[in-house]
Amino acid sequence: MLLDAQTLARLRGVKLRARAVMEGVLSGLHKSPHQGQSVEFAEHKEYAPGDELRHLDWKAYGKFDKYYVKRFEHETNLRAVMVVDASASMGYRSGALSKLEVATTLAGALCYLLVRQQDAAGLALMAGGKWRDVPPRASAGHLNVLLDTLESTEPKGATDLASAADHLVEVLPRRSTVIVLSDLLDENQEALKRILTLRQRKNDVTVFHLVDPAELTFPFDDPTLFLDMEGEGRIEVNPREIKESYLEEFNAFLASTKAACAEADVDYELVRTDEKLDDVLLRYLARRGRRG
Amino acid sequence: MTFGNPWMLLGALGALIPLLVHLFDRRRPRPHPFGPLAFVLRSQKRTASRLKLKRLLLYTLRTLILLAIPIALARPELKQDAATAQVVKGPAATAIVLDASLSMRWSDGTSLFERGRDEARDALKDLLPEEPATVLVCTESPAAPPPPGFDRGRLRGIVDEARPTFGAADLSRCMDMAARALEENPMPAKRLVVVSDMAAAGFRLEAPPPTVKGPTGAPVKPEVVLRDAAEGREVLANHAIVDLKVEPALQAGPRSFQFTFTVRNFGAEAVKDLEAAVRVGESTLAKGFVDVPVGGTTQKALTVRFPQGGTVVGQVTLAPDSLPEDDRRAFVLPVPRALKALVVNGSPHATRYRDEAFFVDAALTAPGSPVEVSTRDAEVGLREDFSAYDLVLLLNVAAPSADEAKKLADFVENGGGLFISMGDRVNTEEYNARLGAVLPRPLRLVRTSAEREDPDAETKTARLAKVSVEHVLFSPFTGRAEEGLIGARFYKYMLLEADNPGSPGASQVLATYEDGAPAVAVMRKGKGRVALLTSTVDRDWSDFAIRTSFLPLMQRFAAYLTGSLEEREEIRVRVGESATLRPEGTQKVTAVRAPDGAEVQVKEQPDGSLVAGPVTEPGAYSVLGADGKVVPALSFAATLDPAESDLSRVPQETLTAYFGEETVKASSGDADKPAVPLWTWLILAACLAFFFEGTLLRK
Repeated sequence: MLLDAQTLARLRGVKLRARAVMEGVLSGLHKSPHQGQSVEFAEHKEYAPGDELRHLDWKAYGKFDKYYVKRFEHETNLRAVMVVDASASMGYRSGALSKLEVATTLAGALCYLLVRQQDAAGLALMAGGKWRDVPPRASAGHLNVLLDTLESTEPKGATDLASAADHLVEVLPRRSTVIVLSDLLDENQEALKRILTLRQRKNDVTVFHLVDPAELTFPFDDPTLFLDMEGEGRIEVNPREIKESYLEEFNAFLASTKAACAEADVDYELVRTDEKLDDVLLRYLARRGRRG
Repeated sequence: MTFGNPWMLLGALGALIPLLVHLFDRRRPRPHPFGPLAFVLRSQKRTASRLKLKRLLLYTLRTLILLAIPIALARPELKQDAATAQVVKGPAATAIVLDASLSMRWSDGTSLFERGRDEARDALKDLLPEEPATVLVCTESPAAPPPPGFDRGRLRGIVDEARPTFGAADLSRCMDMAARALEENPMPAKRLVVVSDMAAAGFRLEAPPPTVKGPTGAPVKPEVVLRDAAEGREVLANHAIVDLKVEPALQAGPRSFQFTFTVRNFGAEAVKDLEAAVRVGESTLAKGFVDVPVGGTTQKALTVRFPQGGTVVGQVTLAPDSLPEDDRRAFVLPVPRALKALVVNGSPHATRYRDEAFFVDAALTAPGSPVEVSTRDAEVGLREDFSAYDLVLLLNVAAPSADEAKKLADFVENGGGLFISMGDRVNTEEYNARLGAVLPRPLRLVRTSAEREDPDAETKTARLAKVSVEHVLFSPFTGRAEEGLIGARFYKYMLLEADNPGSPGASQVLATYEDGAPAVAVMRKGKGRVALLTSTVDRDWSDFAIRTSFLPLMQRFAAYLTGSLEEREEIRVRVGESATLRPEGTQKVTAVRAPDGAEVQVKEQPDGSLVAGPVTEPGAYSVLGADGKVVPALSFAATLDPAESDLSRVPQETLTAYFGEETVKASSGDADKPAVPLWTWLILAACLAFFFEGTLLRK
């Protein structure tokens, strides 16, 4: 069952919406959600107070007379962090759902999927210049924390992708899956490149570029006073007079963003807020599947 | 350019709509929070200059549409320029006749004469280099034009220096003169260019059109080019004072006059509430309003009472129109001064109507009379100081004593007026003996034409047979007014000697009875005057005293004898004519000045009269005496020829038929030029503007 934006909008709360999307995705995949998992030894580490005693390698103690702790690597499970841009511009809506609502719904649905297959899902929310992190975990109880966090998010402040990149470098271990959900409307032209550098750190980066249909088509007719959602700027224009030029500018922005992502080997998904979100996720997952 | 529906031009105000919308459109734009504001801002910056140009173009196109549609609906037509309409044949000797008559002063901001002068300059400009030309300025007495030549500068100078006159101009005569001048040139082709307002008064269409001698000597019609200074106007509206009568208005009091204007409307629309006024200097003495129907005349009478006697120079005026010169007319009016008269009653009576002085007293003190009368009996009256009076009337006085007679003679000698009437008490011998010096003619004896009791008295009584109405004393008694004099019956009258032996020829008989006996004799003596009525001024010898003519005649006697009734004919002179002045006695005239102060030429005639003029402008002319002071009695007013006020135009077809259809062409005047309709082009322009506006809007 693919859910359109209007239907989703009638579902109150991220939990319901995310679940609905997730179920839609699952019915589209036709695969068992129970994936096998295995734990593979990765390395030894000298014991330090606070390490779990159950991971002490007694055989190594017998050989070397030193306490070593075994460290394991989940072979199939992954650590995914949803980086959600909750800046003020994400609150824009011309239809049923705002960009932020779409972003949180997508993030929630992905969290469902990840936790369901025993993968760890975490969250990094940026709103009003402050970070709110939920470290990735795979437990079912963690899912509620994630969804509650997403639910309580309000759009505010300016988009700052550069600081987001810096923050993620600090908190993310290598080889994480980073899913960025943002409208990428950052005044700093270099900010996107900073985000893309996460890929160089062996992270698997995906950018969900959220765009409102009104931003894509500029459907305004009457003279309008456009107000900046993240600042004090305002401009009075006759939209019909500048429509052509605006569309050129915006399409160029989309094209350059897509090209930059491709160049950095980053997955790029353009998401219209009036699209069916399970469709978006299926498209995304299918592409992921093709990449292996 | 002309418009078929000029009121539609009001719609052109609609062209202001785009501007007003731009200035006053205060619609508040809808605020809309928008994420990608940076893109909007960049787009706006990118398109700003293009949008500015687009808005300007849109504004221009919309204004053009809103302007073009009402102008097109007004149906404009473009008249071709005079020069382009003119058909030029081969080279021809050319004479330009420029109308400088009064009617060319008509102005609607620019006078017809100025336009005519421009037309004449254009005509000179249009001449081919090989065409000799001459110019004739057509006035009332035009000067012969110089022979055709090539000195264009000189001809232009003649045109530049030409001024419109106040008189009539005979264009037919001027064209003849111009045709004669053209004959002096050997070039076979001749051309007459007539620059005029084409007023009917200027042409004598009953006379043959102008001709020139052809190559064989036979008269041929020259080519005639009509340049219409009135530019094809159908009517040149004008109203004018065509006549003015000034008469004493006795009913309104002494020194009151009634000014009767005759106003004519030569225009195509009725004139309503036209202001008419009598002015002296800067003050308006009387004012009224007249309505004049189309093509009709209206009379308006205004009464003015002058505060004092003397000669008054003023003008009557109408509210000015496009030809203000004929809306005023000057007058020179002798206003009688207050007179003091001593009536010496030779036969007083207790019953008033039998009193000798009753009728005279009533006549001289009638309303409007300037005479103040003192009546005395003979004994007292003759002892009075006569110098305190302007006039002494001896009514049936027996005879003054020698001293009294001398006093009377001195009184007359010094300028006093003496009136003597007869009666039973008059002693002829003593009159002749003592008053002989002042009597116009010696008294002879009383003649009885009929007794009152006689049943045939009606047929036997004497009547006045011959009255000198040309004399100022009797000048009003013409026509029906004469009957009042002739109807009077005289039972008795004094016969006079044939002449005055003391001063032969000095006396003048102004009225006689049927038998030729003098009834009224007058004489000048020194500075004074004497009048003798050979009958009575009561009903003893005649019934003249109860006739209607008695009152005005007695008043005129009083005015005449005191010199306030001028003994000159009213000088009526029109612009272009000369005024004949007849100075009294030894009076000298040193100069005559026109209203603008210019001196008028004066010529002395063999009979002693003077001819001043011809006068060139309307208004009051002052005559200066030997002492350099104005002689009011000789001053006069010049008037315009009313015919020049009639600006009715000769139709183009009539002129064409008159001059010959093959030879005439109108090179000016809108009526004959092909009109180019402009409205179709304007509609096309509006459509194109509409199309471009739509295209721009879609972009």
